Amino acid sequence: MAFSPKFLRRSLNSINRWRFLSSSSDSRVLLQHSHSAPSPCYSFLYNDNRNHVCSRDFCSRTSNFDEISSQGPAAIDYSALLQEDEFHNLADATTHDLLEKIEEYGDSVDIDGFDIDYGNQVLTVKFGSLGTYVLNKQTPNRQIWMSSPVSGPSRFDWDPTAETWIYRRTKVKLLETLESEIKQLCGDPIKLS
Amino acid sequence: MLRHATKRILGLGLAESRWSAPRFYHERVVDHYNNPRNVGAFDKNDPTVGTGLVGAPACGDVMKLQIKVDEETGKITDACFKTFGCGSAIASSSVATEWVKGKQMEEVLTIKNTEIAKHLSLPPVKLHCSMLAEDAIKAAVKDYEAKRGKPVASTTDKAAEA
Repeated sequence: MAFSPKFLRRSLNSINRWRFLSSSSDSRVLLQHSHSAPSPCYSFLYNDNRNHVCSRDFCSRTSNFDEISSQGPAAIDYSALLQEDEFHNLADATTHDLLEKIEEYGDSVDIDGFDIDYGNQVLTVKFGSLGTYVLNKQTPNRQIWMSSPVSGPSRFDWDPTAETWIYRRTKVKLLETLESEIKQLCGDPIKLS
Repeated sequence: MLRHATKRILGLGLAESRWSAPRFYHERVVDHYNNPRNVGAFDKNDPTVGTGLVGAPACGDVMKLQIKVDEETGKITDACFKTFGCGSAIASSSVATEWVKGKQMEEVLTIKNTEIAKHLSLPPVKLHCSMLAEDAIKAAVKDYEAKRGKPVASTTDKAAEA
């Protein structure tokens, strides 16, 4: 699984040996060192216009991205817009809500090979041969990632104005998308929002 | 709800719901992982080179895809990549470098993540890797065009961060 801590540590250890420069001036890379220290350490590698790579190491338990976003040119740092705790509350609430509603839907509608599972904070819904949905949190980006058999991969950010999760590229909303896709797949409508 | 409760009562919940068919990497993914094509780097200061850097280590995947473009024809003559990530991410970016070679820049922008995913038979949880590869291609083309001083559509999403 791409998100296993062991795998991340392995790939990150090799990153630490290789520093790479980006040619685009507004890039930023967030690095997480895996030390033996109990709290996660974050190191930022960023690139200003003179192609000079600066790096800063600091350890923090909670995200303190306001400080970082004021340093140098960078793209929008979405993680600075939503605190981690708040993100977890919102994302968990949405995921649990979906878990309950889709489970009820599965019980009421007869779908061959229906299965729903929530483990390691990943929600997996199998609609038999019709396809499988996978929903998980992507905490560094403060996003919910969804993999759909209908629309493929998409990444939803929390929109505080609309109070819902929105995929910025297509402007679609998570719950509405799931509603229309599940109806399209299984035939029966579902109410999620 | 009832099914869940029943499972709990019978104590079968965890064991049963966790069982699933064994999952394997498709042989194409294994092939690209063991024999990746076009690993390497070009000089990013070379004016004929476009570099796309997408992803973030914290998310688990970083891809750097570079293209070398023939200035006159706008054709991609060479491509290389370096990826940190899972086998699917490596395979996706390896496939991406294979597919962009010899094509026009406008043409490679039409490469869709669904095609890459289908070619590698990626499971649902790995579809994000193919999207990242598509983003890497777009970022590389965007970078090349920016270097050439052509107007770039600034309203395109920040592919690297999204």
